[in-house]
Amino acid sequence: MNTMVIEAAHLVAQASSESDTPWVLLLLGPAGAAGVYWMLFRFYRNIDKSHAFETETLIDAQPVTGQDHKVDEVRGTKRRSINGNNAGDHRTRVQRLH
Amino acid sequence: MTDTPVAPEGGVPADAPAPPHGQIPPHGQVPGYATPEPSGEAVINTANERMHDGVNRCPKCGATEIQLRVTTGMLICLFCRHEWAETQIEGIVADEVALSDLTGTTVASGAGTIDADAGMLTMKCSGCGAEVVVNTAEATSSRCHWCRHVLTVNQQVPNGAVPDAVLPFSITRDQAVEHIRAFADKRKTFAHRQFISEFTPENVVGVYLPYMVVDGNVSADVHGHGEVQTRRYTRGSGDDKETVYDADVYRVDRSVSFTVDDLTLESSAERADMTAFVNTNNVINTILPFDTKNAVQWNANYLVGYTSERRDQDVEALVPALEHQLLSIARSQVRDSIRRYDRGVRWEAERLTVHGTRWVSMYLPVWLYSFYHEDKGRAMVHYIAVNGRTGETMGSVPVSHGRLALAALASGTVLEGIAVAILAVS
Repeated sequence: MNTMVIEAAHLVAQASSESDTPWVLLLLGPAGAAGVYWMLFRFYRNIDKSHAFETETLIDAQPVTGQDHKVDEVRGTKRRSINGNNAGDHRTRVQRLH
Repeated sequence: MTDTPVAPEGGVPADAPAPPHGQIPPHGQVPGYATPEPSGEAVINTANERMHDGVNRCPKCGATEIQLRVTTGMLICLFCRHEWAETQIEGIVADEVALSDLTGTTVASGAGTIDADAGMLTMKCSGCGAEVVVNTAEATSSRCHWCRHVLTVNQQVPNGAVPDAVLPFSITRDQAVEHIRAFADKRKTFAHRQFISEFTPENVVGVYLPYMVVDGNVSADVHGHGEVQTRRYTRGSGDDKETVYDADVYRVDRSVSFTVDDLTLESSAERADMTAFVNTNNVINTILPFDTKNAVQWNANYLVGYTSERRDQDVEALVPALEHQLLSIARSQVRDSIRRYDRGVRWEAERLTVHGTRWVSMYLPVWLYSFYHEDKGRAMVHYIAVNGRTGETMGSVPVSHGRLALAALASGTVLEGIAVAILAVS
């Protein structure tokens, strides 16, 4: 819970320093309250929990193969990561090829 | 002590060598042999041929009062205290073919297509000859109303009530109660008052829940784009100053072949529905996995004293859930190979090629504490579930929204005070 509050405070402070608008700090209270509510709710209800079958199943995998081809360059973007980054979101399905 | 598997009269022992290629034994005759069906599926007969329907006697004294002894995981005769266990299912369904050579669809006989009308079973009591009707949708054992012998259903009735295998409880009821109490004790401060006042962990129930345990041999490939940061810098000045990035964009393709051993899927439609805010079935899913390698061939006596839930999903209905999990595993497996893309990867397409699967239906042991709760007219059953083998515990405790709101308000006020203080100083 404390970690969540600290993270929320950090994010707000970071946003504030980047934009040089101190009033953004006023969001710290509402953001922290929402964070505390959600963390406690999750701890009691565990609605986000499920069996981690990706890691808790006996899996024997062959070495991963593949190719990487440079196709483009991005210059001067304000995005911190690629649009639609789903590298760690294993359970969200994308277009199925047959 | 474990009984040596006995071959059925005129049958072949489970460890007998496989027939020469092309010579298929009659379906339902030889345990462990895969028999192709007209649908193209191969079927492994897992029926416990050693047992006859009706009176299952203690192999030592002949008594029929038999039940599971949780501390040993073995069946015990309540008359002479003799203990024994059924044969492990792994040795019957897993033949000498390596998982990486698994092809086609192989289904164990207890995981076959469900016939919902096949629930009523008439058994002839071998103790007195009376006919006893058992509704297998409700129970897998009954007592002869004439001679008091216990009759158990060991025939694989095609209504989903009799699986290929059962994994006996090894966590006792008292241990389960302690697990549930410890889980709830950590969550009392903001729990709903009704839950705290009515919490009675002694009401826990031992339930055998139906699962399909699947082995698979698959290949998958995924395609997308990834970005590698080449430069990070600021531009502009004063209020217009901003951080921007340069990056190289790559087309990323990955392929991986893998086998999965004992992937476990809920085979009850009700349990498989894990819609958040509607039910709490996800907490039962969370206590997976089980040590399914220790599951034994079906014997209804393992269920004496426990309840069970019938399987209502066929293999065909579970294929989408299986494919979803296999694709998720594939994406997880390729994760390490894309570490260089420090700005992430956007997967856009994926393909799964299933070379072979093997399906076995199983009853797995769960201690379940349930609490019915209505909140603003919306009813929900909150479960606290304990894995009947490992003791892993997960649950859902109804919250007092008022108390949560107060805690959130207090935290928010403190943080807001800090923010105001910082602004006042700056």
